[in-house]
Amino acid sequence: MSKAGLKCPNCGSSNIVNDDLYSQAQLVCVECGAVVSEGSLADDPLWGTGLERVKEICRILRLNAEIEHLAQTYFRTAYQHESFINVTLQRKEVLAGCCVCISCRQRNWPITLGTICCVLNAEETLLGGVYQEMLKILNIQAPFVSVVEVIETHVHEYKICKQDVPEDFAEDPKVLTKRAVELVELAGESWIVTGRRPLPLMMAATYLAWQSLNPNRHRLRFSLDKFCNMAKVRKRRAAATRITELKEVLCRLGKELPWVTEAVTESDVVPLVGDILKYRHSLLARALKTHEKALEANCAQTSTLNHPTDEVVPTQLSESRNETESTSSVVQLSPSNKGENQGDKNDDQSEEPAPNWGKKVLFAPPCVINAKRRRVERRVENCTGDEEISDSEIDSYIRSPQEARDFALMQKMLSLPNSEKS
Amino acid sequence: MDSKNDEALDIIVTNVVATFRTRCHLNLRKIALEGTNVIYKPEMGKVLMKLRKPKITASIWSSGKIICTGATSEEEAKLGARRLARCLQKLGFKVRFSAFRVVNVLAVCSMPFAVHLINFTTNNRPIASYEPELHPAATYRIKNLKATVQVFSTGSLTVTGPNVQNVAAAVEHIYPILYECQKPRCK
Repeated sequence: MSKAGLKCPNCGSSNIVNDDLYSQAQLVCVECGAVVSEGSLADDPLWGTGLERVKEICRILRLNAEIEHLAQTYFRTAYQHESFINVTLQRKEVLAGCCVCISCRQRNWPITLGTICCVLNAEETLLGGVYQEMLKILNIQAPFVSVVEVIETHVHEYKICKQDVPEDFAEDPKVLTKRAVELVELAGESWIVTGRRPLPLMMAATYLAWQSLNPNRHRLRFSLDKFCNMAKVRKRRAAATRITELKEVLCRLGKELPWVTEAVTESDVVPLVGDILKYRHSLLARALKTHEKALEANCAQTSTLNHPTDEVVPTQLSESRNETESTSSVVQLSPSNKGENQGDKNDDQSEEPAPNWGKKVLFAPPCVINAKRRRVERRVENCTGDEEISDSEIDSYIRSPQEARDFALMQKMLSLPNSEKS
Repeated sequence: MDSKNDEALDIIVTNVVATFRTRCHLNLRKIALEGTNVIYKPEMGKVLMKLRKPKITASIWSSGKIICTGATSEEEAKLGARRLARCLQKLGFKVRFSAFRVVNVLAVCSMPFAVHLINFTTNNRPIASYEPELHPAATYRIKNLKATVQVFSTGSLTVTGPNVQNVAAAVEHIYPILYECQKPRCK
């Protein structure tokens, strides 16, 4: 609520509001942020716990009143529960953050847990644990946040408008976002997004988008480090790997461009990115056809190799197919038929039983393409562990209950004739 | 079961955890000084003893409780535990092997297809939970089998349960559900 009749000493505007979030009420100018009222310079405002904290986080993230209200309701309910009533202040603070996060998600306002982590300056593991517990206690579910939704906010953090950087490097955030979104969608189709943290990927997409929007000599030579320094963003180490992966995918698609005659390498794919993204659907289809043709050619060459696709294996616990370092026992689940021939089971164990689906598709995650081969290990001949136990050791041999009974009986039988003799 | 058709799914048991008791107090210092292949951890109050065959690591507490990890089957775990008890007996303690119990079995399995985790979780709430920012896999808890399956989008699974039978049953249980939510190979 603005106070009439007050003027900000700094900028002269009359738009003054009463900020009563913290323990001391302050009068603050909306235009320039100067504090108008006197004697209220608390250098370190007390971090409120509980509902105060929820309000605070909502104000920092500039969320609307509906989300704030919902977060407060959740917090009140969760706080009453036994697992949150006698915990450390830090945990309560994290709980407040989690309530805000879940209310945002439910009201289609995409924020990541990473953002909450930054705001609260808390550990990710603690946040994760509290979040899962809270979901269980409140028995609520949240819709998933995809990277595409979050990237717009992310791109706006980068300070590369015309005012901040030289003309040559400046870029309109809207255009940049659009291209970054397209890059992220492409990454999603080629297994770069799944299972990875969103932030380095968004950084890589922004960087490549920026480079490709105006691929002159200066921009192409600009490294990721310099880009992050210029945009005043903290660089993520993993972003470099994502850039390499994205460039690889772009190269594979770039090869399919009909007007490209020379080979496309990682260093000169960036100028082509615009075209690749524009026609990416048809390029994907063409790349898939090329890949399938290559597979067929491969198959024709190796048709002599016996692929055990129709074999039937009975259920058994077997110790074949061991790794070199550690042995592991294998339980095989049988399909509908049992009692078929045991057959060439030993031969087949040297290959992978389930066909590696990574070979058949155009794009696959690295762990599937380079699947670990479990090699057959020969049994160690020298030490079987069942060696003869020497007489001296036999006394310390642990007997099973049956053996103990037999032994006792035998002792009794042996002692009887002796006593009789003597 | 029928949907598996002609391919056999390999469930590879990678770890079996078992506990047993020796029914007598153990002097950890003596074990640490005289035992072979031991590591003493006084800050945690236990001794780690490693066996070569079967490849097992045991945590030994002074109360006589021992936890064995690293075995690859239930039989191997029992064999290792007995061998360990014999080692302790040789050191001079009056060990009696009792209360052997397999506590946990960990196995991995690989599906021949990729899984669309978001569809999988939406179809199976609240049994399944997926939080991509925290962990890349979706967790599926089977209550009656007391087993937890972690499903990765590449189609790999890790299953933990109280014994090998439960683990196999869990994979059989979850296979048809995953088959429905598989990722189509091309758009």
